[in-house]
Amino acid sequence: MSQAEFVLFLESAVRLGVPLALAAMGETMTERSGVINIGLEGSIIAGALGGALGALAFDSAGSGVLAGAMAGGVVALVFAVFVIGLRTDQIITGTAITLGGIGMTGAIYQARFGVTGTALTLPTLPAVDLPVLSEIPWIGSALFGQAWTAYMAYLLAPLLWYFLFRTPRGLELRSVGEEPDAAKAAGVRVRRVRFLATLFGGVLAGIAGAHLALAHAGTFTEGMSAGRGFIAIAVVVLGRWNPVLVLFAALFFGAASALQFFLQALGLDLPYQLFLALPYLLTLAALAGWVGRSRAPAALALPWDSE
Amino acid sequence: MTEVLARLSSIRRSFGQVVALDGADLELRAGEVHGVLGANGAGKTTLLNVLCGMTLPDSGIVEVAGSVVRFRGPRDAWAHGIALVHQHFTLVPAHSVLENLALGDRRPLAVVRDDAVRLAERAGLELTLDAVAEDLGVGDRQRVEIIKALLRDPRILVLDEPTAVLAPSEIESLFGLLRRLASDGRSIVLVAHKLDEVLGVADHITVLRDGRTVLSGTAGGYDVPSLVQHMVGTGVVDPAALGLESGAGRDSARRKTGATVVARLDDAHVPAAGTGSGLRGVSLSVRGGEVLGIAGVEGNGQREIALILSGRLVPSRGRVTLPEGVGFIPQDRTTEGLIGGFDLTENVALALHREDEFRDGPWIRWDEIAGFTDEIRTRYGIVSPSTTTSAGGLSGGNQQRLVVGREVTMARTMLVAENPTRGLDVTAAAFVHAEIERLADDGVAVVLVSTDLDEVLALSDRVFVAVRGELKEVPSAARTRSGVGALMVGGDAAGG
Amino acid sequence: MPPVGDTPTGAEPTRLRAVIQSPVGTGVAAITATAVVGGLLLWAGGLDPWAAAGAMVRGSVGSWDTFVSITLVRSVPLILTGLAVAWAFQAGVWNIGAEGQLYAGAIAAVWVGLTWGALPGWVLVPAVLLAAGLAGAAWALVPTLMRLRLGVGEVITTILMNFVGIYLAAWMVHGPLQESTGVFPQTDRISEAARLPSMLPGTRLHLGFALAVAIAVALAHVIRRSSFGFQLRAVGASPEAARISGRVDAKKILLISFVGSGAIAGLAGGVEISGLTFALYEGLSPGWGYTAIAVALLARLNPVGVIFTGVLFGALQAGAGAMQREAGVPLAWVNVVEALVILAVLALERTRRLGSAGENS
Repeated sequence: MSQAEFVLFLESAVRLGVPLALAAMGETMTERSGVINIGLEGSIIAGALGGALGALAFDSAGSGVLAGAMAGGVVALVFAVFVIGLRTDQIITGTAITLGGIGMTGAIYQARFGVTGTALTLPTLPAVDLPVLSEIPWIGSALFGQAWTAYMAYLLAPLLWYFLFRTPRGLELRSVGEEPDAAKAAGVRVRRVRFLATLFGGVLAGIAGAHLALAHAGTFTEGMSAGRGFIAIAVVVLGRWNPVLVLFAALFFGAASALQFFLQALGLDLPYQLFLALPYLLTLAALAGWVGRSRAPAALALPWDSE
Repeated sequence: MTEVLARLSSIRRSFGQVVALDGADLELRAGEVHGVLGANGAGKTTLLNVLCGMTLPDSGIVEVAGSVVRFRGPRDAWAHGIALVHQHFTLVPAHSVLENLALGDRRPLAVVRDDAVRLAERAGLELTLDAVAEDLGVGDRQRVEIIKALLRDPRILVLDEPTAVLAPSEIESLFGLLRRLASDGRSIVLVAHKLDEVLGVADHITVLRDGRTVLSGTAGGYDVPSLVQHMVGTGVVDPAALGLESGAGRDSARRKTGATVVARLDDAHVPAAGTGSGLRGVSLSVRGGEVLGIAGVEGNGQREIALILSGRLVPSRGRVTLPEGVGFIPQDRTTEGLIGGFDLTENVALALHREDEFRDGPWIRWDEIAGFTDEIRTRYGIVSPSTTTSAGGLSGGNQQRLVVGREVTMARTMLVAENPTRGLDVTAAAFVHAEIERLADDGVAVVLVSTDLDEVLALSDRVFVAVRGELKEVPSAARTRSGVGALMVGGDAAGG
Repeated sequence: MPPVGDTPTGAEPTRLRAVIQSPVGTGVAAITATAVVGGLLLWAGGLDPWAAAGAMVRGSVGSWDTFVSITLVRSVPLILTGLAVAWAFQAGVWNIGAEGQLYAGAIAAVWVGLTWGALPGWVLVPAVLLAAGLAGAAWALVPTLMRLRLGVGEVITTILMNFVGIYLAAWMVHGPLQESTGVFPQTDRISEAARLPSMLPGTRLHLGFALAVAIAVALAHVIRRSSFGFQLRAVGASPEAARISGRVDAKKILLISFVGSGAIAGLAGGVEISGLTFALYEGLSPGWGYTAIAVALLARLNPVGVIFTGVLFGALQAGAGAMQREAGVPLAWVNVVEALVILAVLALERTRRLGSAGENS
């Protein structure tokens, strides 16, 4: 592999890994509070459409990201009202939210742009070259010549880690996910914490979706989230609910996805559809190899009754 | 007259249809250990929750330091100097001791660490701040809970059933600590169901019955029988029959213990897991017609023995001989003994559906099981509208009757009972004890595993103690609270 | 724990044999709530809910032939996948993978149908369906073993397997199984002998419908009456109590239920190929495996109830085309409605339980 090829590969690995990282880091916070949001996919696709509509409305990709974040948050809000407010089952509710998210975005898209519609062209997030860093040979331009959403992911990982493991509020969040009754006894508002953590996860998933539409494709297509929400949930497991490890796990998956394009470019004669299946197969293999050794928050997916 | 720190007057609180408190009063003074007593469902826990801001009363007045307050959460109660040590430990198992202490504190961990070290020193408690909570024994966990409460610097410290899972020596040191804390001018509120224990440490006694305060007075003026009278309310009660007194060993002369060995363990091993010690070579023969008691602090291997003897666990090494017809009363009836969403018949079927008379090849004979369930319901006086009521809707006592009824039926040769009276009120506990005796009199072997030392001593023909995965027989001379207690914490019985 | 179906509360006595019954009231309330919320959403989107409803009714039950040849035909894969989900959920297995299992079944069915097309029908049709069931079971076996052997939760693994299944089918129709001219992304049509016979002459309704109904009734009987069915419900309701009872082999129950559920979902794919499309193509399923969750939940996991909710969702999918043509409602609304139904059932179930729960402190 030449340097140019490697840089290209790494660049696309990061570009593909960033939305996974954002969504997975948000989900990490959600799961640390004891809520598993299978509806993450719904937040991502809503974020993608929100990002597209926002970017079109204000003719700015930055506004698109903001709109995507809000759309992702709104979807997570619906999820939270059901699983935290009504204490419905998290798995089934999440599945419904994903289904509804895909349906709603499809319906809105068709209503707004018609069924056949030529591909939408959106303002894109420009790559921002970080001074000095982007000049490092081999990896510089790939890691530090990305859209700002990538830098957001880099920054969030240590910040979230510090919050979770070094601050009193982070301790409360983790306790809510481990032993909500103990947290309540210590004066923590269990439901509020879960609510906020779920919303935070939705907002990050929304940004991830906006990144898909605005940094990747410059367009929106129905169902473009393509299961990234589910892969992100697997990435959380692989990253052992630790934001820093989750970032690396997400970038690893970005690399796996980038490999598919790269191998294709090399003219390797493997069917295209099998390349598409590769990230899912890799996720399955990674889960099989890793999960036994990690430990989920004890109260994950369990509804909590205050009395 | 000493200073009144808090006063609760005419507190009422209902949960749905259930009236938990119906005009209860409580007055707490500085420097006193205050015992709160009552049968199950008398409202003790609810009253304490009101005091500690965990539950809002429907009506009534809570005064702290002379002014009326209304707590919306535990934080409000802390702000008024009230802290609670819960009945069920509220530690986060996966977190370190320090993290558990800091939870809800909002101050940086380093500050909490300094504070905790200072407090532990003053209270004379040892603490390993970096240990993981789930690795601690029950006594240590409780010390963490107490330090956690003391970190709030409370004037009033409330302890809900703190002795239930402790060994006698641990109870003594706990009571010593409580006396010291009280003498610093605090008010200590102690809820316990062992009356003699409470009488041994409390200065003042309050008795609740059916959600009302029926007695409040100086501890010196009462003895166990008079307190029982107040707790139960009606009729003449023999406290020994209710198992409320520290018993003096059962009258085994009444019955001949059969010589037949019905079950046997030979050098059984189970690897340690989680908080349990596992088993490290346990041998045991169980004979028909005897009550074999196994005492011990939780997590010393008795759970594994119960599971092996009931056929629920296969030891990793060693030999097991088990009879047909074993009943098993697991310790947690709500999660292990019953399925809350299933009705009575289905819960009975859980044990019976594979017995020949209740099935027809692969099909279950539901009518037979339903009829049988009705019999159990009548015989054991289970209060429920019908056999199609879901078990989750029954009261705790009725749930236990259902489990006991079902398993006693299964126990043609042997019954293994794990803490069968935990959480039951005095009448329900007496009922369970009577069933155990009746079975033994009929020649069935009973293995009674209990952390309640008095229960073991009162019912058993032979007494064993589980310590760190091993089983030690208690010589009959040492069958006293102190003798068995010494063994429970790993000493020998000579001191008893 | 399964959220619905087998958790009656004390205030509401249920007959033993009615524990897994489907209270029609909840279903009707959920459908009403869905219609109201869905109508409001359509209205908010600038569409005419009444016109949509009219088109929906005409497109699904407008005539006998519409009902039989469109609605009932559409309901077959929904009933079968709904049964797969109901079975798994009752046993506490979160099989969200009916979609992938269906594709695995469809691929196997087409392959058997094409490879042994010369065999007589009475051998070939059962062989096609058997292959579909086995393929679905094999597809489910992967997440089953991951759960049993490695402790990996099945929710994510089954979903991931869906994507793999979909891409595998896509590859098949572009590669190894592509039709002989090599132009279209689909397989050749299976021979007449591999096709399920018609159930009502003159309509498109095939025997797959009768098969689905028969499986539903049998499954209901097994779950209600047999020792296995009872153990299955016990594991689903409380794995801990089932284990401690000492009479339930939870691992065996889980294995059989998970794999059996996959087999039924795989069968759904086989029946679709053998009864209706006769060929495999990309996008064979518009997400039946996910719709199945709504189907099963609305029936409150009762297999017999699944027959009716399956027909209901069949009508929804049948009417969706008409809604798009006549009222301009995008097809994607079908997914929204499915989501609304699931949420409505969950919310109603929850509210009922909250309303009748006797608190004991």
